[in-house]
Amino acid sequence: MRAQDLSGISFDSIIAEVNYDINLLYVVPCVYTRNMILNHLRDRISMVESVTKAIIQPGQLQPQPLPLQPGVTPIAEPPALQQPTTPGNQTTFTLQELSKYDGKGGNPAYVTVNGTVYDVTSNATWAAATHFGLTAGKDLSNEFVSCHAGESILSKLKVVGKLV
Amino acid sequence: MSNRSITCPEYKARLNTAANLLDTMKTQIRQGVLKKRNLVWLELTGCSGNIISLLDGSNPDFKYLISQMTNFIYNNSLSASEGEVAMEQLFSVLGSDYILAVEGAVTTKNNGLYNIIGRLNGKLVTAIEAVKTLGEKAAFVIAIGACATHGGVSAARPNPAECVSVQSVLNRKVIKLPGCPCHPDWFMGTLAHILLYGEPDLDRRDRPLLFYSTLIHDRCPRRSYFDKGIFAEKLGDKTCMFKLGCRGPVTRIDCPIRQWNQYVNWPIEDDTPCIGCAQFGFPDAMEPFISYNTTREVRR
Ligand code: HEM
Ligand code: SF4
Repeated sequence: MRAQDLSGISFDSIIAEVNYDINLLYVVPCVYTRNMILNHLRDRISMVESVTKAIIQPGQLQPQPLPLQPGVTPIAEPPALQQPTTPGNQTTFTLQELSKYDGKGGNPAYVTVNGTVYDVTSNATWAAATHFGLTAGKDLSNEFVSCHAGESILSKLKVVGKLV
Repeated sequence: MSNRSITCPEYKARLNTAANLLDTMKTQIRQGVLKKRNLVWLELTGCSGNIISLLDGSNPDFKYLISQMTNFIYNNSLSASEGEVAMEQLFSVLGSDYILAVEGAVTTKNNGLYNIIGRLNGKLVTAIEAVKTLGEKAAFVIAIGACATHGGVSAARPNPAECVSVQSVLNRKVIKLPGCPCHPDWFMGTLAHILLYGEPDLDRRDRPLLFYSTLIHDRCPRRSYFDKGIFAEKLGDKTCMFKLGCRGPVTRIDCPIRQWNQYVNWPIEDDTPCIGCAQFGFPDAMEPFISYNTTREVRR
């Protein structure tokens, strides 16, 4: 696990989930649900494990303070591509810069809809940075309107900047 | 992993959706409560893959379909009669109660001249004429497979014969069973539901919810790898094939539960990414089927 992916993971909420699962385990009668909860628990625990590993791994990066709240800034490693930035702490992209984020050769996959640049690298419906014949690294505003008008799915995506 | 050993009640129930309907139907047929209905299976522009897939069905088998469930009026691959006699047989259903099953897309170029299905009273009958004439009068129309439901492979770029879906030429409800091919259970289950209770519950795109309700990704045995960000780098790896371009996350169908070839296996279990054959827009919209050297891993 890369330390930069730790941003957004909150230890507090993981611990809360673990406690909730344990409490639930005391009361659920159904063996299937119990297995599901155990599975979930295992998942949380391995998350904690990988977070811990990433933090103490020697060589890879300096020990870093744990992110305690969601939304704290990423704590390490610059992304594969140097992101263009402007003053005001808002990352901006020109269309040409955006085109590098095509999800190929290890680059992240970004797409723009109505001026906002979204990260679809880990979005399940964008496997291999393609989605219904569309490819990443482009302004897909028109395509989005013609396919998803009125659907509130953009709010689920990570915003990485603005198109200029 | 064989699904038959699965004890999860949801999987068990969903694996048996078709079987339960068919059992009820068989009982009612034995008791003489259920009336056979006429079935016409029209094959337009496609590869005959859906009728072949149906012949592979086991629960019940094809023989039961044509002898006990329906009066199987016509199918151009299987009918014993030929030529004009077969065509007369086909059009003899007009005026009676019948269910129309269609596989294959409808060619529209030059008024459908690229698919002539036969000759009636000395005149050529195009596929488009046949599906329009029979489709308007049928009690139910079921489009089977990718080509019939949305154009599919027959309508793939550059689509020289200008193929379209069955729905595009019919102004009525068409039940759609996308898939390349359609699983025998999806058709048999839908037909059994029609015989027993009428039209099954459909989603916004007229797919029976009995079969097309969940994403492959939501029931995939490799899902825990996806959630942890552990991805296959090449075919044969046993982890999530998201980075290779798996289309499970956009494909709604029950393959992970039902599996294929009499419930033996299915693509992902056999290390092939899902290519979205049961999603509208296949194959063009689901390409590329495999990609290497894509986005870097998110978590290790
Ligand atoms: C050619 C145009 C497009 C088509 C045909 C299309 C089609 C679809 C379909 C069918 C699904 C849902 C699959 C299902 O759950 O059954 C979906 C989901 C999604 N699409 Fe698109 N899409 C298009 C363009 C876009 C664009 C431009 C974006 C840009 C961000 C996008 C982002 C998404 C996301 C994030 C989801 C997941 C939705 C969720 O979480 O519920 N799509 N798309
Ligand atoms: S292999 Fe495909 S369907 Fe299964 S979890 Fe991965 S992306 Fe989803």
